[in-house]
Amino acid sequence: MSPKAKRTVIAWVLLSPLIVVTIFPFAVMFLTAVKPRTEVLSPTWWPSTFMWSNFSDMWVATKFGQALLNSLYVSVIATVGAIVFSIPAAYAMSRFRFAGHGAFRQFLLVSQMISPIVLVLGLFRLLAAWGMIESTTAVGFVYMAFNIAFTVWMLQSYFDTIPRDLEEASWMEGGGRWLTLRRVFLPLGVPAIAVTAIFTFINAWNEFVIALTMLRRQESYTLPIQVFSLVAGRYSIEWHHVMAATLLATLPVAVLFMWLQRYLVRGLALGAVK
Amino acid sequence: MHNRALPYLLTLPSLALAAIVIFWPVWDLIQISLHDVNRFGQLRELNDFANFKALAADPDFTAALLRTALWTVLVVGGALLVSIPVAMILNSDFYGRSVARVIIMLPWAVSLTMTAIVWRWALNGESGMLNSALRNLGIIDQNIQWLASAATAFPMQVLIGILVTVPFTTTIFLGGLSSIPDDLYEASALEGATAVQQFRHITFPLLKPFVNIAIVLNTIYVFNSFPIIWVMTQGGPANSTDILVTHLYKLAFRIGKLGEASAVSLVMFAILLLFTMIYVRLAMRESRA
Repeated sequence: MSPKAKRTVIAWVLLSPLIVVTIFPFAVMFLTAVKPRTEVLSPTWWPSTFMWSNFSDMWVATKFGQALLNSLYVSVIATVGAIVFSIPAAYAMSRFRFAGHGAFRQFLLVSQMISPIVLVLGLFRLLAAWGMIESTTAVGFVYMAFNIAFTVWMLQSYFDTIPRDLEEASWMEGGGRWLTLRRVFLPLGVPAIAVTAIFTFINAWNEFVIALTMLRRQESYTLPIQVFSLVAGRYSIEWHHVMAATLLATLPVAVLFMWLQRYLVRGLALGAVK
Repeated sequence: MHNRALPYLLTLPSLALAAIVIFWPVWDLIQISLHDVNRFGQLRELNDFANFKALAADPDFTAALLRTALWTVLVVGGALLVSIPVAMILNSDFYGRSVARVIIMLPWAVSLTMTAIVWRWALNGESGMLNSALRNLGIIDQNIQWLASAATAFPMQVLIGILVTVPFTTTIFLGGLSSIPDDLYEASALEGATAVQQFRHITFPLLKPFVNIAIVLNTIYVFNSFPIIWVMTQGGPANSTDILVTHLYKLAFRIGKLGEASAVSLVMFAILLLFTMIYVRLAMRESRA
């Protein structure tokens, strides 16, 4: 056996326990989602037939569509808002030296560490004072505010890697700051902005505790809360519906995440090295 | 730069938003925690830290505090022990490495809520697929009611916590390992160093700053982690799997003891600030090095 083949065997043998445990919940989710209703409670692994209709049944029975729309709505508000507010800040952090620069960056770092759960009672009272409990719009704005530290941090890390020469060349040619920003800088920043936006979207899409606290009626539930409500405090749980809903709610963002994961790591690492 | 106000104008809106969403609630929590407060959140007179004293005297709080420490240490430590060898394997050259990497990163791509919901079903006592898998393998001959008692529920929650923490931790270590030059290993191999010696004298020392960062960041995330425990057991049965975050949530939104809930929030906020300061110092030291 060549050394590489030998290494391959050893590597897979060593990784196999972790791989089994990692794949196990995905197998459970998928197989339960496609089992016929009568087989869900009998502990066999493989379904006798694949019931793809579970997905359409679940869509109707659990009002999946409404929750999907709510999730999209809060995630879009959070993403667009956070990006619009962060681009100017990240641009300033990347291109200007000013008093308070370091302090602002430290504040961002610290505020990224503070999880909403610690503040959720205060946030609840804030929204209640404005009569905005049940408001998906308000939840979208809370997500937006909580994501700003992350978006400014990520954007600045990437903006720092855009060479200044191009902007300086544009100024030489008589382009003003605003024109240069629009024609030279922002087009170069588009990939970074897109990646940051997608991660903000995923953050908002997956958020649990704020939605659980602020959204009390089914019409305003986002997907995590909707799926959780199918499980929590129910006497009989339609597990094949729950797993189908989990699968549908997870798959699109999981694929996005796996695709873009290396950018997240690079962005955070760039920030850490600075 | 011709306009000295410009950078401030550009940063101010985002700073204001990020600050409001933190400082307003914190200020509110301080107010509630220092006053008598009724179920509906109306503030009465100052109460001489009665809420904090009540916490110290509450056995549920002390139990949750200790369990949070246990939860954090076990999950962070477990993830560390798994991730170092996994990262070293993934850093070596073998067939199917990119597939292995994708599989190991998978739990990171799924929200904690959804992961916890799937595990709640997989651990179901009567028809859960873990029981049936273990029975088929002949490891157990009777169904285990995993979530019915803390003795089995909490260890499972810790294991799931470790499983979802491994991808992020491994990623950090992969970054660290790729920064170690291969020459070091080649040179030491020429000198006759064994693999164990290489790990002790090259890999581990050079990985150490990354280990520190991973420990601090994971401690912050795990300490705050709500969905796994809330979705699987809601801190039950009989509060026996409660950690601070679930205890806090019950105090605030189930029992309606707003004063004590805000006191718990502030205690957690203080602990988090401490962790964060450690992180900032570590990160600064890294960037100077």
